[in-house]
Amino acid sequence: MGGDSKYLGLWYVTPYILGFALFTAFPFVTSFYLSFTDYDLLSTPEWVGLENYEKLFTRDRTFSKSLSVTLTYVALTVPLKLAFALFIAVVLNYRLRGIGLFRTAYYVPSILGGSVAIAVLWRYIFAQEGLVNMIITGLGGEPVNWFGDPGNALFTITLLRCWQFGSAMVIFLAALQSVDKTLYEAASIDGAGPWQIFRNITLPLITPVIFFNLIMQTVQAFQEFNGPYIITQGGPLKSTYLLPLYIYDEAFKSFDMGYASAIAWVLFVIIMALTLVAFWSSKKWVYYAGDKRS
Amino acid sequence: MTKRILSLALATTALAGTANAADLRMSWWGGDSRHEATQAALTACGEKHGHTIQPEFTGWSGHFEKVATQIAGGTEADIMQINWPWLPIFSQNGDGFADLSQMSDIIDLSQWSEDQIVSGTVNGALNGLPVSTTGRLFVFNTTTWADAGLDLPQTWDDLIAAGPVFAETLGEEYYPMEAIGLDAAMIVTLYGTQKTGKPLIDAQTNEVNWTVEEMTDAISFYQTLVDNHVILPWRDQLASGVQALHENPKWTNGEIAGTYQWDSTYFKISDPLGEGEEIEYVGLLELDGQQTPGVYRKASMVFSISKNSDNPEAAAEVLNCLLNEPEGVEAMGSARGVPASQAALSLLQDADAIAPEQADAQSKVMAAEGPAIHPFMEHPDVRSAMEDNLEAFAYGQIDAAQAADEILYGIEDVLADNFDS
Repeated sequence: MGGDSKYLGLWYVTPYILGFALFTAFPFVTSFYLSFTDYDLLSTPEWVGLENYEKLFTRDRTFSKSLSVTLTYVALTVPLKLAFALFIAVVLNYRLRGIGLFRTAYYVPSILGGSVAIAVLWRYIFAQEGLVNMIITGLGGEPVNWFGDPGNALFTITLLRCWQFGSAMVIFLAALQSVDKTLYEAASIDGAGPWQIFRNITLPLITPVIFFNLIMQTVQAFQEFNGPYIITQGGPLKSTYLLPLYIYDEAFKSFDMGYASAIAWVLFVIIMALTLVAFWSSKKWVYYAGDKRS
Repeated sequence: MTKRILSLALATTALAGTANAADLRMSWWGGDSRHEATQAALTACGEKHGHTIQPEFTGWSGHFEKVATQIAGGTEADIMQINWPWLPIFSQNGDGFADLSQMSDIIDLSQWSEDQIVSGTVNGALNGLPVSTTGRLFVFNTTTWADAGLDLPQTWDDLIAAGPVFAETLGEEYYPMEAIGLDAAMIVTLYGTQKTGKPLIDAQTNEVNWTVEEMTDAISFYQTLVDNHVILPWRDQLASGVQALHENPKWTNGEIAGTYQWDSTYFKISDPLGEGEEIEYVGLLELDGQQTPGVYRKASMVFSISKNSDNPEAAAEVLNCLLNEPEGVEAMGSARGVPASQAALSLLQDADAIAPEQADAQSKVMAAEGPAIHPFMEHPDVRSAMEDNLEAFAYGQIDAAQAADEILYGIEDVLADNFDS
């Protein structure tokens, strides 16, 4: 290695650093500044100090509603999605015939991701005369108003996110396959049943992956936009009006980019706080290899 | 010989430069019929003037935000289809778009009346040329109404009487009308205007004209329509999510048999109808003792040129071709309604290219009377004040008086923010 080689790594990461600086760091810092301004997109920002934040916490009923909807959505989505992803991963961890095909098939919804087409598909599936209601009425039930009833709309949007469980599932699957098989054999010899084995061996050993998925899914859920924007546009009665939709409307419909930036920063602080709480709590329930407790 | 070829090549290159061959972009919203017609017109105009024009088109939903983002970033298309109420939003002082009056050597402005030119002018600058004039009219599915054994309504009383007949003869799933969101706000606005003779927002004073009692009355009338099986309840129409009317199966199969729509959307709402389903514009329903027919008429849209365009002259050539010259006008047809430009109107009339139904609807809009419309009637925050509170009312969260109070407060707030008192 010559003397210049110490800079080689830096050269390799330069494209990333440039991209990060331009498309993440710069907007991040700028939005913080804009959150203290009155900025209508078309003219120069005007400094207003804490006015945006003051309005947000004291006078804005839409923000309170949107925040409440967002927290409910995250509280519903993340556990449901993680539980479902883990369940499917456990099933796909068995050595079954054609298991590769199943693993691929279950991952497909995640490849399609939060695309517009999937949101439109969801709208048709849960429409008044859609597939789900056809099944319900076929079984003798009454059709459900999935999107028009404020009590159902958020749940229906939640299911869309849960359906895209593939990425979390693949990570769980990898973790399950890395669990030492001799532990299972030893437990079986000692007379442990499948549930005991899962609860006392599998679960503790994959807690680092559960923790990782928990953080990633929480962050993603707080940023959900496509589904509610395309299917319900936040309605009815703002029952699916997640904070990212509110930020979008304030920025691009009401031309209040300063206020939208303030909301975005409050959202960031909430995500950051919850992440820190998760990290703090992880000391009590996440077990790493080599951990003195293991 | 080589020298001659070289000089000929250089001359050709130079000539191409003086012909202003430019790469342009044009953006618009609309339905499939408009997309196809506009692309054909751009091809024709591009060939005529030696420019290439990249089309950028979307549906109505989200187009405002797209244009707003592009304008904020200075990346908007050279030629833009702009909704008339957006002019004061994007160009408060008249400097948000190119001043087309400075391009009168390229664009034949004599094809528009003075009133039309004024409607596209902000603070003395001609920011947009009206493409057509539009207004809201009642349009009904003649097939469904005939199946119900009814003539198309001429008055509100006719419409209200039709609700129970629809339910009885055709089934509970059939309704004479729909009106949620903006359409609900438009119905409330129409009724209040007819009853009081006053527009909701005064175009001269920039102030709200209605009292809380007048607004409460208009909202209560909306509920009368729901109670009489005239309008599909808000909750039920949202059962399949938020859908444009022309994409709603209940509209295309005739279960929803009427709407209060822009006359310029004729093809958009008639094209997707199922086989055997036909529609007819009937004008404005009459209110017993009305002060005015209350037509909601405005420039339907304008074509503007970006102030940031690198090729404003080339853009002006294309704009003139689309609005005044045979190549553009004939290809575009009446996809944006009956043209405002006299040259385009004559060309299409001579070519028999305006559908009789569309011409009929336009004549109804132009013949009806009503107070001047304030551009802020379609301001996003005014719309939000009306639609959010009407929705809360429709879902039984607030009563008509509370909704009226909230709506008027919301509109006054927007006006206070944007106009000097």
